[in-house]
Amino acid sequence: MSEATLTAQGEARTAGAPGEPGASRMTQRSLNEDCLKLISKPGPVWWTIFVIDLAILTVGLLAERNQIMFGIGVAGHTRPVMWASYVANFVFWVGIAHCGTLVSAILFLFRSHFRRSVYRIAEAMTVFGVLTAGLFPIVHLGRPWFAYWLFPYPNQRGLWPNFRSPLEWDVFAVSTYLTVSSIFFFVGIIPDAAAARDRAKGPFSRLWFSIFSLGWTGANHQWKHFYGAYLYFAAIATPLVLSVHSVVSWDFAMAQVPGWHSTIFAPYFVAGAIFSGVALVINLLIPIRSAFKLEHIVTVDHIEKLGKLVLLTSTIVTYSYLCEFFMAWYGPNSHERDLFWWRATGHFWWAFWIMMTCNSIIPLLLWSKKVRRSMSVMFVICLFVNVGMWFERFVIIVTSLARPFEPYSWGVNYKMSWTEGAILAGSFAWFFMFFLIFVRVLPAFSVAEIKETLAAPLKRRAA
Amino acid sequence: MIRALGNWIDKLLKGPPVRYRGVMGVFYYVDEVTAALDALKQGGHRDLSVFSPVPHHQIEKALEQGPSLVRWVTFTGGVLGLTGGLSLCIYSVYSWPLVVAGKELVSLPPFIVIGYESMILLAALSNLIGMLALGRLPRVKSKAPYDPRFTEDRIGVWVPCDGEAAIRVREMMRGHGAEEVHLHA
Repeated sequence: MSEATLTAQGEARTAGAPGEPGASRMTQRSLNEDCLKLISKPGPVWWTIFVIDLAILTVGLLAERNQIMFGIGVAGHTRPVMWASYVANFVFWVGIAHCGTLVSAILFLFRSHFRRSVYRIAEAMTVFGVLTAGLFPIVHLGRPWFAYWLFPYPNQRGLWPNFRSPLEWDVFAVSTYLTVSSIFFFVGIIPDAAAARDRAKGPFSRLWFSIFSLGWTGANHQWKHFYGAYLYFAAIATPLVLSVHSVVSWDFAMAQVPGWHSTIFAPYFVAGAIFSGVALVINLLIPIRSAFKLEHIVTVDHIEKLGKLVLLTSTIVTYSYLCEFFMAWYGPNSHERDLFWWRATGHFWWAFWIMMTCNSIIPLLLWSKKVRRSMSVMFVICLFVNVGMWFERFVIIVTSLARPFEPYSWGVNYKMSWTEGAILAGSFAWFFMFFLIFVRVLPAFSVAEIKETLAAPLKRRAA
Repeated sequence: MIRALGNWIDKLLKGPPVRYRGVMGVFYYVDEVTAALDALKQGGHRDLSVFSPVPHHQIEKALEQGPSLVRWVTFTGGVLGLTGGLSLCIYSVYSWPLVVAGKELVSLPPFIVIGYESMILLAALSNLIGMLALGRLPRVKSKAPYDPRFTEDRIGVWVPCDGEAAIRVREMMRGHGAEEVHLHA
């Protein structure tokens, strides 16, 4: 195993040219080996996790079958809470999907080289996160087989979707996001798939990687157009990532429901999305670097930098929580004031305080450098962040709907059903199923970009 | 059966035999590659190709590569997406005119969201198509004899030439530090 490490600033502590001190420890060749060694026959641990994952997914699918057979009534939706866990799950997974584009596109534009070691995992998470999120508007439908009505297509009745509705904006935003993030992900894989193709031993794996590498040879004209396009993908994906969660937030903010009708929602949701997304990336990277002995590629410095992003976004999210309460207290709207008081002290007080504890209080530990550099503590903190962010969506959606303008419906409160719980668990299994397969069949680390971190081999330096 | 399928896949990936005419030099050091490229250009050689595991600015400079044209393809896609998205919204409200809350049929603020997302979608798709078309991808056969080490740690310089010129290029590459030089004539 190589002992050299990459610094988070994007420099190799050892150069790659032969003859240099430490060159034998990390070279372009050793990086090929290290980054591509995940693509191998899975062992018993992987199979055990995969089978458990599929079992949970089966439970989720059975619950969905149950809902299709017996109707949406098997979910715990009760008037006035007709949007609940499914919409919370949708927002949660779209949020999770945001980190990939942040790390791969925004940090690319800012030339933050620490992204190189972690961005592929984050991008994969984005694609699988949107795939998971996209299920929930369909699951939430009473007649899911009519989900295609959401899309504008010429039809016999001359009907078109309502383009003034934020729900229709969501259709465009989320489907664009899925398409663009998938393209970004698969384009980035091209040079790495070529590296995997060139070291593949069997014809089937060679064919598999040939498909993903599209016949890449690393010719100068290919690199020129590849990086030309990559820069524009990053430039396109950056406003897209900001717009998608803004549009998701407008699903709520455009309605005049207390607790929803606020201009702070777009930046508040984007910050929350990045917060939960980066936390999940850390949760994925820590076990992978440990299981595959990649501590020299995904270093403690990298995790620490991601930890700082979690801390930054935690403070933005906390500011938004406080700002909402301040505006409710300071503003003239008594319904808003009542709702926010009820949110913290009413029927769902426990959900609110789980949210506050996990998203605002526990991340304060990240001010300590020692905490940020402890992998086990970081892992646990990020788990709490994800629990907290799911509850944030639950609190926003359910508490606002459970406390509408008319007091006659205040006593009726939503309770999550077993069907909803099983579908939520199934969504995690669905996400992890893709992820578990991905790390075994495609390059989970960008070999080409990590190689750029090494100093270019120069004769005059070696001489 | 599986072995036969494997052999068939190997044959498929290998593609039809191609006869290359030129010289392929295999280098390790980037500065030796750039020196060789400068010498080749001075010798009047054009259409040089360099294969490398990572892009190097020094090589781009030596080859005098300009910026990629893909940006114009992306821009065109973006403009088409924006106009297409807005047109779809405007067409749909005129084809089924339904006045809601006394508002204008063509209400641009909500339509801008659709136009914006369509702009990004088409710009990204055009960017992809532009990259593939300009980079000549996907392709089965390389334009030069390919070596799998080019995705590892070696740099290949391909000079299309034959006859006496090929001999001269071979000697010149050796003189500039090529680890291996392969003559294809």
